[in-house]
Amino acid sequence: MTGDLVLSGVEVSYGREKALAGVDAVVSEGRIVAIAGENGSGKSTLLKAVARVVPISAGNVRVGGESILAWPRRRLARTVAYAAQSVDLVFPIAVRELVRQGRAPWRSGWIWENGEDRAIAEEALRACDLLDVADRDATRISGGERRRAFLARLLAQRARIWLLDEPTSDLDPRHRLEFLDVLRDAHARFRPTVLWATHDINEALAIAGDLLLLRRGSVVSGGAVAECLTPEALRRTFGIEARIERASSVPRVTFFR
Amino acid sequence: MRRFGGGAIAAAIALLVAAAAFGLLVGSVPMSLSGLLRGDAMARAIFSLRLPRVALAAATGAALATAGAALQALLKNPLADPFLLGTSGGAAAGAAAAIALGAGALGAPIGAFAGAALATAVVLALSRRGGRLDLQRLLLAGVTANAFFSAVILLLFSSSSGANARSMLFWMMGSLAEARGSEAAALTVYLLAGGGLLFGAAPTLNLFLVGEESAASLGVSVERTKATVFAGAALLAAAATSFVGIVGFVGLIAPPLARLAWGNDQRRLIPCSAAAGGALVVTADALSRVLFSPAEIPIGAVTALVGVPFFLVALRRLS
Repeated sequence: MTGDLVLSGVEVSYGREKALAGVDAVVSEGRIVAIAGENGSGKSTLLKAVARVVPISAGNVRVGGESILAWPRRRLARTVAYAAQSVDLVFPIAVRELVRQGRAPWRSGWIWENGEDRAIAEEALRACDLLDVADRDATRISGGERRRAFLARLLAQRARIWLLDEPTSDLDPRHRLEFLDVLRDAHARFRPTVLWATHDINEALAIAGDLLLLRRGSVVSGGAVAECLTPEALRRTFGIEARIERASSVPRVTFFR
Repeated sequence: MRRFGGGAIAAAIALLVAAAAFGLLVGSVPMSLSGLLRGDAMARAIFSLRLPRVALAAATGAALATAGAALQALLKNPLADPFLLGTSGGAAAGAAAAIALGAGALGAPIGAFAGAALATAVVLALSRRGGRLDLQRLLLAGVTANAFFSAVILLLFSSSSGANARSMLFWMMGSLAEARGSEAAALTVYLLAGGGLLFGAAPTLNLFLVGEESAASLGVSVERTKATVFAGAALLAAAATSFVGIVGFVGLIAPPLARLAWGNDQRRLIPCSAAAGGALVVTADALSRVLFSPAEIPIGAVTALVGVPFFLVALRRLS
């Protein structure tokens, strides 16, 4: 209850186009929410709105009952961490430096390498299996390693709410599984609230307890996976038929026409 | 991993001192160091003639390189430079307009700052597409702005009566030929003000290296940082331009070299770029005095000759 994330009537417009048309959602503290929907349904925009990297034109976002819209940026960054879908790096930057950026909300930029910040960054590097490449230039490592570097930066930020925008979209199967393992372990340890925008609903269901289905900037269905994962909701979200197998503990969705 | 920037900054300053010594010693009439130390009248005369010129060259290079380094980090673009962004062109046109309107030497820097700020704002507004900076648009807008400001300067000088081709050349290609000590001192004051503003933003600029959204999500107030850096860069470019005219490409040469030598931490890079930029312009000026002696080619022409290869390298890396 204390740290619940509550979105009420959130609207975001890009020019005349409404990317989010009044989204209402309640996410209990510590839950992992899979956010699914077609291209352009507003998944990314929803995360950006919570991170306040796009302006919200109407509605409100509250954490623990407090509106985050009026918070100073630094306070927001101590509470909410955001990993964008893709970032192109132009200038060389060592992986370790990139991960240490996660400590920026917690310290003055003029202090060179505070011991505690350094330890937290090293721990994040280790958790994401990046110690071998920590001194390498982040523009010259593989796409999978770069994804993990941004996950490590997010871990180092020690925020209570994590926003992940398609974090596995360009990973091969092995790195996808490894990413899931890292995320699962980190979640077990820090118990953050996680909003995970994804195109691969099955992958997200492997660790998500909640689901938020979006269509054209509006919520089709939201809540615990057990309740809102239905063929009807998936049909309304994606416009195609879906079959749901619940043989194992993790449900599996197969789409067909 | 280097812990502190002290060593790097000391090395960069040593480079600047070496360049200044070179600039003082060479020229159409060589000056002997031993003569100067002995108190030889001839050597002292040459020294007091050259010192303002070397000082003005150093301050000009430092100002333009600092502006370039900060803009590059802010815009995540190694091609950001006060000349390519039209800032210097706007400054020159603004200063020339102020003089043509009778504002005198005191009004020229104010006109330069207004022109620089306006030019930067327009070029950046034209370069945005879908919320991000588009490289092609940036280059096109910069080229167009520079052509426009050249035309404005030409127009101002061909219509005003006291004008001559010499002062027009001064604004368009830069010149250190009539450097005065008071100018070097005044530019140094502007350098400390603008450079201080940008150096103060250095830790924040480190976060911009990954992008604006990323910086915002790490707690940076993006709009405030942008306003600070644009104001500081415009001030530096305007001050340098109003004393020396347009000197291009310094921001494309010095920061990348400093980055190669001392890394891309802006807390270190900004002061190192300043020293490297100063060393660059002092050396370029000294060489232009020696190589074409007794003729002198405008300093802007020298930096352009050196700068174009750097531009091509940066462009290739980006595309």
